[in-house]
Amino acid sequence: MNTTALQASGVTKRFGGVTALSGVSLELRAGEVHGLIGPNGSGKTTLLNLLSGYYKPDEGQVLLGSEDLSQRPVQARAKQGVARTFQKPRLLPSLTVLENAMIGGWRDTRSGFLASALALAGARREERELRVRALELLQGVGLGHVADRRANLLEHAEQRFLEIARGLTGRPRFVLLDEPAGGLTGAEIEHLGTVIRVMRDCGIGVLLVEHHTDFVFRICDRVTTLDLGRMIMHGTPAQVRADPEVIRVYLGA
Amino acid sequence: MCGRCEREQIEMKRLLTVIVVAAALITLPFWAGDQYQLHIAALIGAYWVLIAGLNLVVGFSGQLSVGHVGLLAIGAYAFAIIAGTHGIDPWLALAASGGIGALCGFLLGLPSLRLPGFYFAMATLAFALIVTELVLAFEGLTGGGVGLSVPSFPAPFDTSEGNYWLILGMAALVTWLTWNVARLMWGRGLIAVRDSVVTAQAVGVPVLHAKLAAFVFSGLTAGLGGALFAVIQSYITPDTFLFELGMFFFVCIIIGGRGSIIGPFLGTVVLTALPELSAPLAKLGNFFYGLLLLLVVLLLPEGIGRLFQIVLERLRPRRVESVPIAPQPERLAAAIKVGQR
Amino acid sequence: MLSALIAGLATGALYAAAALVYNVMFSTSKVLSVTTGHTAMLGGVFGAWFMQAFGLPVPVALLGSIGVGALFGLLTDFVAIRRVLSRSDEHLWLLSTLALATMVQQAIALWWGTEPKPFPRVIAQDFGAGLLDQKYWLPVIVAIALAVGLELFYRRTLYGKLFVAMSEDIFAARARGIPTDRIRMLSYVMAGAMGGLAGFAAGQLTFAYFALGLTLTLNGFIALAVGGLGSNLGALVGGAALGILSSIATYYVGGEFQQTISVGLLMVVLLLKPEGLFGTRNVRPV
Repeated sequence: MNTTALQASGVTKRFGGVTALSGVSLELRAGEVHGLIGPNGSGKTTLLNLLSGYYKPDEGQVLLGSEDLSQRPVQARAKQGVARTFQKPRLLPSLTVLENAMIGGWRDTRSGFLASALALAGARREERELRVRALELLQGVGLGHVADRRANLLEHAEQRFLEIARGLTGRPRFVLLDEPAGGLTGAEIEHLGTVIRVMRDCGIGVLLVEHHTDFVFRICDRVTTLDLGRMIMHGTPAQVRADPEVIRVYLGA
Repeated sequence: MCGRCEREQIEMKRLLTVIVVAAALITLPFWAGDQYQLHIAALIGAYWVLIAGLNLVVGFSGQLSVGHVGLLAIGAYAFAIIAGTHGIDPWLALAASGGIGALCGFLLGLPSLRLPGFYFAMATLAFALIVTELVLAFEGLTGGGVGLSVPSFPAPFDTSEGNYWLILGMAALVTWLTWNVARLMWGRGLIAVRDSVVTAQAVGVPVLHAKLAAFVFSGLTAGLGGALFAVIQSYITPDTFLFELGMFFFVCIIIGGRGSIIGPFLGTVVLTALPELSAPLAKLGNFFYGLLLLLVVLLLPEGIGRLFQIVLERLRPRRVESVPIAPQPERLAAAIKVGQR
Repeated sequence: MLSALIAGLATGALYAAAALVYNVMFSTSKVLSVTTGHTAMLGGVFGAWFMQAFGLPVPVALLGSIGVGALFGLLTDFVAIRRVLSRSDEHLWLLSTLALATMVQQAIALWWGTEPKPFPRVIAQDFGAGLLDQKYWLPVIVAIALAVGLELFYRRTLYGKLFVAMSEDIFAARARGIPTDRIRMLSYVMAGAMGGLAGFAAGQLTFAYFALGLTLTLNGFIALAVGGLGSNLGALVGGAALGILSSIATYYVGGEFQQTISVGLLMVVLLLKPEGLFGTRNVRPV
């Protein structure tokens, strides 16, 4: 069984005079759903940005298995099979839903610019295969019926699911979700849960940064809680939910 | 109406349109009004060779290069010097113009594509001014302010018709190349660089490399276009390559619409032809281009090509139903597992 | 050689003034406007026109030039910035200001002509004054006065402090009830007025010339980039460095490589210190 994990190991991140994260560790294992919760300003997004490569840690490391990713550029994450979604969905508005999903498959593009310009057989074949796979993934998440629609015409929930399909097109081992339930109805959150469970069952490690704590406790195998840049509790949902510090700081009485 | 049948019908219509247009363009010398109109058509073709490449830079990767006229000048002077002054075979000279254009594109692009948008635009502007300055400075090579005469291609391309067909061929080739890039992965990658660098990085697009690839390609087409342009003009001086021409190329693309091939092509045709058809517009010159650019930016930022699309969509209304999202877990799992093999 | 230095300093002062105009517009809108150089061009052209066509006395023509500059600043905000800033596409303002700049430059070319026209004397002075000629020291005085004036404005006046607040964090400013649209408009009017004044002061050096718009946009930008975006001291230093370097290079190598050398300076600085001499590094947002 593949035990490679995506880890933040004792990471500290400062912005000017502000310490956003201080000595935080988190281990995202394959085939698990790992929740990351905490009040606003606790450093969740910063940690997510560190794991996904947009920030580099001031102290500590970001590791994939035994490989140190800390100083690698963002693009290296996609090659390593780490995909992410964004708090505010970032799509390419002038392209169709299918094309937006297909861009997620960039890591498998072997053809260079010149090969594309000459429409060599390899480039055309890659395109065909990618199109088929991306369409299947879109059908899988429930967006098959809008595959040809321009992305700027999508509703909010559709945008969120498209970002997930895009991430999956890159054949990731780990998917980092940044508040994917934001703005979704109850039914849509259920569907989101279904998709996340399928990902987990296929062996993908899913990091779920969320404010909908009920959802987090229902679906996650483990949960990490942050507050003011430090980890304050880590364990199963039952353990975290019952922890007095977590309740005091975040969940309320 | 089956989806497959619909798509095949669209493909047939598209193929038919291409055939009709190609036939019209090939036979143009026979139905065009006079030599002057043929000359304009050839000019549009030469411009399009440059603009097609520049389209990948401006329209697709969103790098606002206003100074591509500098690369046009380099291509033109390279051809004039190699084929004219040194009497080398014009075909070799043409290839060399393209190569030199590509090299200069690389040298210009490498430092400046890292810069933020405005800085980059200013760098290309400065580049265009520097090229003119250097052309004037190195008189011995370029004839300075007096200019150079430009030889024509050997028969059968030395007549107006022959020259036109040569340009048509090159324009068709460049259009095919850029169309390929546009419809395959790299086109999407460039659009990602334009519309959301964060997304491009997240999926692994090598942003600088992609911008540079498009830019070098645009240098190649600018070099080729410059050589063809020089042959049409038959005599070039530094005044032929003013910044205004660079603005013109840029505006053709923005007005035609970014992210498409046909939009900027139509933009080029319309903007080249308009001053010919209307004398008052010709007098307004760059003012008119500036005004058009402003109107497009304020009212139709996606270009006139998009306007056509919107009109077509209105005429063929498809009811946009709001269907709730319904994942299909088994299908999703199967699709994911395919990728994991 | 000394005359080259003095001439370079004077042209540099005009570049510095343009860099100041950039700074003011940028502070409230985060936009670098292509119309920056044109505010000065208009100041020079209209100043000459007011004095020559209408025989207006110098102070009136000066006020007129400042007014024209201010009006153009207002026009820039209204036409090219206001509706464009709210859109998500961040490069639209580059296109709109480029379009407006092109229109203005061509309109002036069509009306005023494409030849540089002489600018009348502003203060009675002998033409044989050599290095003490007002065409050299007028721009320098104006550039320094503008920079000092800006610093006082930012530190001592309410509106100045509002500009600073907006430039540091526009969302916080809006949240505190600052009418950001109106302040931005005001800043553009002010910037335009500054440009008009600088153009008037430098008129005898540059002549009233339509093409000054674009070249000053570029050179003012080089001064800005060298000195550091957002720094008024940087604008002065950058402008002086650019002006003097160009002038000295022309003196030794000849005028043929002026543009190349200016850009060379820019490239060197950007490679060594990308944020300019006095600029600050930005934190990249995700």
